[in-house]
Amino acid sequence: MPDILREIENQISQAKTPATKQNVGTIRELADGVAKVEGLSEAMLNEMIDLGSGITGLALNLEETEVGVILMGDYTQLEEGDEVRTTGKLLQVPVGKQLLGRVVDTLGEPVDGKGPIQSDAFYPVERMASGIISRRPINHPVQTGIMSIDAMIPIGRGQRELIIGDRATGKTTICTDTIINQARLNKAAEDAGDTGYRPLYCIYVAIGQKESSIARLTATFEKAGAMPWTTIVAAPAADSATSQYLAPFAGAAMGEWFMDNGMDALVVYDDLSKHAVAYRQISLVLKRPSGREAYPGDVFYLHSRLLERAACVEEKYGGGSVTALPIIETQAGDVSAYIPTNVISITDGQIYLDSDLFYQGIRPAISVGISVSRVGSAAQIKAMKQMAGHLKGDLAQFEELAHFAQFGSEVDAQTQAQIDRGERIVELFKQPQYNPIPVEIQVAVIWLVQNQYADDVPVERIKEFQAKWTDFLTDRQAELLKKIAQEKELGDALQAELKDAADAFKGTWK
Amino acid sequence: MKETQQVKRDAKQLFRLCLVNGLLDENRVDQVVQRVIETGYRNRFKVLAEFRRWVRLDRTQHMATVESATPLSAEFQASLQAKLLQIYGESLSVAFAVDPTLIGGIRIAARDDVYDGSVRARLAALKTAF
Repeated sequence: MPDILREIENQISQAKTPATKQNVGTIRELADGVAKVEGLSEAMLNEMIDLGSGITGLALNLEETEVGVILMGDYTQLEEGDEVRTTGKLLQVPVGKQLLGRVVDTLGEPVDGKGPIQSDAFYPVERMASGIISRRPINHPVQTGIMSIDAMIPIGRGQRELIIGDRATGKTTICTDTIINQARLNKAAEDAGDTGYRPLYCIYVAIGQKESSIARLTATFEKAGAMPWTTIVAAPAADSATSQYLAPFAGAAMGEWFMDNGMDALVVYDDLSKHAVAYRQISLVLKRPSGREAYPGDVFYLHSRLLERAACVEEKYGGGSVTALPIIETQAGDVSAYIPTNVISITDGQIYLDSDLFYQGIRPAISVGISVSRVGSAAQIKAMKQMAGHLKGDLAQFEELAHFAQFGSEVDAQTQAQIDRGERIVELFKQPQYNPIPVEIQVAVIWLVQNQYADDVPVERIKEFQAKWTDFLTDRQAELLKKIAQEKELGDALQAELKDAADAFKGTWK
Repeated sequence: MKETQQVKRDAKQLFRLCLVNGLLDENRVDQVVQRVIETGYRNRFKVLAEFRRWVRLDRTQHMATVESATPLSAEFQASLQAKLLQIYGESLSVAFAVDPTLIGGIRIAARDDVYDGSVRARLAALKTAF
């Protein structure tokens, strides 16, 4: 009881503060999630504005006689003539490990019904990216568990890799698989008590998606056991354009907390096309001048300042990293549209998903020719570098040769061998969703193909051959796999061991 | 769109013509309104509506309202007015009003600033705190 009394006294004493100066204004116009406010002479750019009734807004346009405020929450209760006030604060979101395992909205409020989030740290949503001095080169891989990506288009911690493609080509699936693989790796390291392994925490930002899709995704993560390392920031299609515009910045702020505290984070922005559309809506309602495709002039800066926040920083600046995987949806494969070209030029490479490949059954439908990672092999373990060095070139060459060969023309023996090898590699890289492959198995499988063990296996049996080899390794050669994972390099001794294992396996293969 | 912008530009121009040493001259305002109506210009009423808005905004920049639950003593009013003029400049006109819904204390609104020391505001703060 005394506690309650003390609490009441405390609350009363707080409310007894002397009259302070407040800068106020009145709502002159209210439409489409934007309020035009007269007064507010001291409002600052991006400052939070208190509109009363628990509704906050963001001052986005500071004009001669009025301020354009974008609104968050249910603004239908507001009326013209209502008094609003400045708060002197920037928009902040809760950050920290308490958010892991939760689904939150743009403001970091939980929407999963699992109770409030007790977070003691808050980060501003808009923040300057790390500078030149604080950054260090990227040299640590993000293992996606997708063999074609890990082998040919490696992603490093701190990199920004765009995932681009038409609708329903598996863009989200790549990110989902990556998150699931991180959970697998994090859990394995935790169970083994491996303190040297740096867990990768994941933040998935859903922008303008259906609530059902977000619910399905959450269920997938829960089923795969990925939620303990994942936060989902949801700004579904039913949310205001303001929420959708701010959601990726909130996700980036949550990622930055891990970076500043010496940890690694992965932020998926799904997707930035819808984000640009939400920003276009806000800009047009604010009567900002429109440019190409009616997007405002600063839509490039919108995405560049967001993606610049992905970084890998030096020890004395925290020593962590934020990796960004933005997604862009193209229309009919047109990568030369405004937003795709913008984001392609901002990021450190792109994974292009081709709908033709998807319908041919090549899944993930990665088009090797135009997919690239500008960080390159610096973000691969040495064993993978040894194995996959020429893979991308070989495969690109194969695609070209295959085009010729399909006309039925005769080809010489060497070309035929190249085509045969290519077909096998393509087959090898087909991978079902939610089924990430550990890097040591990837290395062993590629080693097998690179060393001609698969040359006499019919193309249609390659998947079976791969599955049997994987089973053989995990059942009988677990030690060898462990060595590859630990040494991260295929020395002569390991290669000899692999050769013995492959010979033994080939003997059992029928 | 173009027409609206022209109307806004015209109104702003007219408003500027009414300023003398940075302060609004009421005689000039009357003259401007009269002249604009006489011109027979097609958008004159739109221009005047926008002009009115400029004048209204200017008025609020030079006005202060002091509200209290009970009437204030003349002495207190004078000292309060002197203090407000010191902060916001000599051009400020101060009005005093009684509003019993404040319960107690005073509320001063000067330009875009509000100093709320009323009991009503404190109760509202208490309500939010709980």
